Parts: sequence; structure tokens; C-alpha cells
Amino acid sequence: MRSFWPIYKRELFAFFVTPLAWVLITVFLVVQGMNFFWIVDTFATRTDAMSDQTPLQAFFGNTVLLYLVLFLLVPPMTMRLFAEERRSGTIESLMTAPVSSVAVVLAKYAAVVTTYAAMWAPTLLYVVILRRAADVDWDAAAAAYLGVMIVGAGYLAIGLLMSALTKSQFLALVLTALVILGLFILGIGEFIAREGSLAKDVCQHVSVWAQMTDFSSGVIDSRHLVFCGTLVVLPLFMAVRVVDAWRWS
Amino acid sequence: MISVSHLVKRYGKAPAVDDVSFEVGKGDIVGFLGPNGAGKSTTLRILSGFLGMTSGKVTIAGHDIVQDSLGARAAIGYMPEAVPLYPEMRVIEYLGFRAELKGVTRKHRASWVDEAMGQANVMDVANVVIGNLSKGYRQRVGLADALVAKPSILILDEPTAGLDPNQIREVRDLVAELGKAHTILLSTHILSEVEASCTRVLVIAKGKLVASGETKDIGRMRKTSAVDLTLRGEAEEALRLVRGVEGVAKARRVGSSEGEESAVFTLRCSFGKKGEVEDGETMVERAVAALALGGVGVREVRPAGGSLEDVFAELTRDAASTGASDEGGEPA
Repeated sequence: MRSFWPIYKRELFAFFVTPLAWVLITVFLVVQGMNFFWIVDTFATRTDAMSDQTPLQAFFGNTVLLYLVLFLLVPPMTMRLFAEERRSGTIESLMTAPVSSVAVVLAKYAAVVTTYAAMWAPTLLYVVILRRAADVDWDAAAAAYLGVMIVGAGYLAIGLLMSALTKSQFLALVLTALVILGLFILGIGEFIAREGSLAKDVCQHVSVWAQMTDFSSGVIDSRHLVFCGTLVVLPLFMAVRVVDAWRWS
Repeated sequence: MISVSHLVKRYGKAPAVDDVSFEVGKGDIVGFLGPNGAGKSTTLRILSGFLGMTSGKVTIAGHDIVQDSLGARAAIGYMPEAVPLYPEMRVIEYLGFRAELKGVTRKHRASWVDEAMGQANVMDVANVVIGNLSKGYRQRVGLADALVAKPSILILDEPTAGLDPNQIREVRDLVAELGKAHTILLSTHILSEVEASCTRVLVIAKGKLVASGETKDIGRMRKTSAVDLTLRGEAEEALRLVRGVEGVAKARRVGSSEGEESAVFTLRCSFGKKGEVEDGETMVERAVAALALGGVGVREVRPAGGSLEDVFAELTRDAASTGASDEGGEPA
């Protein structure tokens, strides 16, 4: 694991030295800023309509906005992780250094999660802005950020796996987007499936919608944590096996 | 330092490396010679730990490549054929990263990077972004990368590919210099390169090791046993004259030189087997004398073949006739 640190640093360097990270962060912040404005504006003008939730809840859950943002941003963040190195051949230099597959996968993953966290960091400003106008439920805010981080972490792990599976960045992007979309649509089944059926239980369990609605109202459900944890660990584990398998292709 | 026994690598069913065994001793500079597609890169990639093998056993500095992959990789400085580098990094940043990756401690890192840059002669581009470097510099940065952690073994895959003649000479000098402190295994498809810088040669063709030995032995094989004579005059008459010369085993007309004079043609004369007659030079002299006396104009005398392909043909034939058993096949 000694090699974790240099790879982690290089990944972050590669991410921020190219325009991609800055473009993504800019788009992210513009979209989130618009969402925030729209939500606050709605709350200010139509106080009666959404009396059962706070602006923060609307920002993190109960609307499609968050998922749209994740859907658009996670695939381009993760697509290059392995695909680019395999296409350009630098993977050969990397894997012939005394590094373990686990360290490579974890370092790349940690770098992209760090970037993801850095993207969200400026949105803390919104909480501060809200604080000036009204009381903020800090516990709910913390739970919401926890939710955003672990849901995002799961998506990023899926993206990393997809990037390890193909040499084409574009294909990695498409595959990641499809899986994220698939999970979301499966989650929507929660509202469609019959009450009490197995399908409904399954859909409810995998529904990001339900998860983020809970998190944003301050509810930290251990089932959600386990599910998201699985979504992180399983793809990473598979990615390590995939990296090992390149040797035998 | 490097021990390879019965190495086999198949892609699907097609064998890329087929039962190759050899040893590289400490301090050797070994040239791995073969035409493109012979399995050189595949073998070196297996040694460097990038590819897995189908069967066989490889030990690098006492570390089994499968059981102790990290230990084996730590002992090697490997320069891949394509010299892949991160284009967005500066040379000095890249080498610093590689040094850290290879476990060079913080205390030594800066000085070892400097040393490697000095050895590979890339000091003047230390702060240039790699994406802007020329092919020659990229090659040398790759070399610096291989050197940066001071490994005991260097594996260089075609270190002179794509370089201009001056740069090739520089790399050769560098390899000779490095050979004093490192064990080097380098691949190439250029025979003269091996003759210039290696102490031993492994020749591989179609995935099989067809010869191994001291460089001078391989060099001797390059000496040809035939000459091409470009002549002017009567072809039939010239053939008759040449065949009459003592020691000429065979003479035949090869591709008449197309163009202006139809009277100009080329004969290929091969001499008798080594040992049966004296050396070829005297026979060439006699043949030329005979032709000149016979009124045939001699335009050019040129050793036939002697190209890598011919050497290969010869080596493969030799390997087949001796059963290919005595060459480098160490028991596991």
C-alpha cells in the first residue's frame, strides 16, 4: 500500500491540471446555484405549498435535480481513470512498478472521491446563506451531506469499474451512465410496484430517491448505509480483479 | 540475475513465446534479437510483470515472478517499447512520481532523480511538459525512469527505436556505461546494435529461441558464404567461367539489373562448405580474375545476404540440425 500515496497525488494532479475537472466543477456549481435559487425562490413566494419540507430537503431530496446532477457529472469524472491509461499505454509503466492492484484501484478511487467532495464543498455556502434568513437544521444538513457523499461514492465506484472494463473512455462513460440510470429507474419502481409485493421492497431498497429523501430530512437509516456501502465495495473489489485479469488477456 | 525456464505464452491458441529458456548472469549485457513479431516484447513484458505467462518459471534476482511479483518488479528498471509517459507532467515531476512509486525514500528522491536525469542526459528539459518533448527526449526520459530507483537489472525494449543516428550512438554509449553497474537485457531487431553493445545474444524467431551465445559467435555467422557479382557481357559465358573456378559450389543468375544495359546482369556464387575449401576471399579473387581474363567486365562485387534474415535462416537451420537442445536450456 506504500504506492497508494504517489498514485493518489498523481491522479489529483492529472485531474486538476487538465480542463476537464474545472469544466465539470463549473457546470456543477452553475447548475447547483440555479437549483438553489429556484428552490429558495419557490419557498419564498409559495410558502403554503411545501410547508412540510425545508429548502435544504428540497435541495438534497424529493426533487429530480440531485440525480440529474449526479447522472451528468459522475460518468465524465470516472471515465478516464483506467481507460485513458490503457489507451495511451501508460498502464504498462504503472503496473510494472512495484505496486499492488489494490493500491492502484484504491488510490484512483480515493482521488476521484476527493474531487467529488471538493465539488460539493462550495455548496456549504448555501447552508450559510440559508442560516442568515432562517434557522437551519444542522443535523439534517449533516445527514444530507453524508447521503450525498455515500450515494456519490457508490456511483463513482461503479464508474471506476466501468473504466477498468474498457479501453474506450466514451464506452466507459456510456456504461456508467446506463448503470446509474438503471439504478434510478429501478428505484422509481417503488412508486409503481404493488403495495406489499417483493418488487416494491427491492425497488425501495435500491431507490436513491428514498435514500436521499431520508438523508435530507435527517434520517440516517442503516439499511441505506449498508446498501451504499455495498455499492462502493462490490465494484471496487471487482475492479481489483479486473486489473489483475489484464495480465492474462 | 534473470532465469527463465520453459516460458510459454499463448494468445488464444497461437503461441507468441514457445518454450524459451535462458539465463542472464550478473553484469551481462544481453541483446535480445529477433525480427518484429518474434516474441521479444511479449517475453520482456512477462519478465517485467506486465503480462502473465501460460506456463514456465521466471525468477528475477531470486524473486519468483508469480509468487513474489512485487519483489521481482522492485529489482527491475523496465522501459516499455512505446515509452508511455504522462503527457501533462513535467519531466522532473514525472521522475519524482516514478521514484516515489518505486519506493525511493523522500531523503534520496531529489538526488536520485537528478542522477537519473544526468545519466539519461535530460537535464536541459527537466521543466518541460512531457507532451511537448521530441521522440528522442521521450525515449531518454523513459530511460531515466528505468534508472531512477537504481535497480540492479535493466530491461529495455527497443531503446533505440525511432531515434536518429546520433541519438542511437548516445544510447549505445550509455548502455555500455550502464553495463558496468547493471545487468542489462535489451531487445532490438538491428543486428549491428547487438554487436555494438552486447556481450551476449539471444536470438528469437517465431517465439522460439533459435540461438544464444557470445556476440562474436553470432557476428561470425553474419559472414556470408556467397557473393553477388554484377557483370557486363555474355551471361552464359560468365556462368561457364565462374563455374570453372575452384571452390565455387554454385552459381546462378539472379534478377538481371533492370534498366539501361541489357548486357549487365548479376550472378550469385556460393562457395563450398566451410572447411572443405579455403576462405571465400581467395575464391572471389580467382573468380574475378577468371572473369576478367574471359573478357567479362566486373562492375561490382558484393557479399550476398548477410542481412538479419539470412542470419536467421542460418541460425534456424543450425538450431534444427543440432536438435536445438544444447542452447541455453537449463533444467528447472
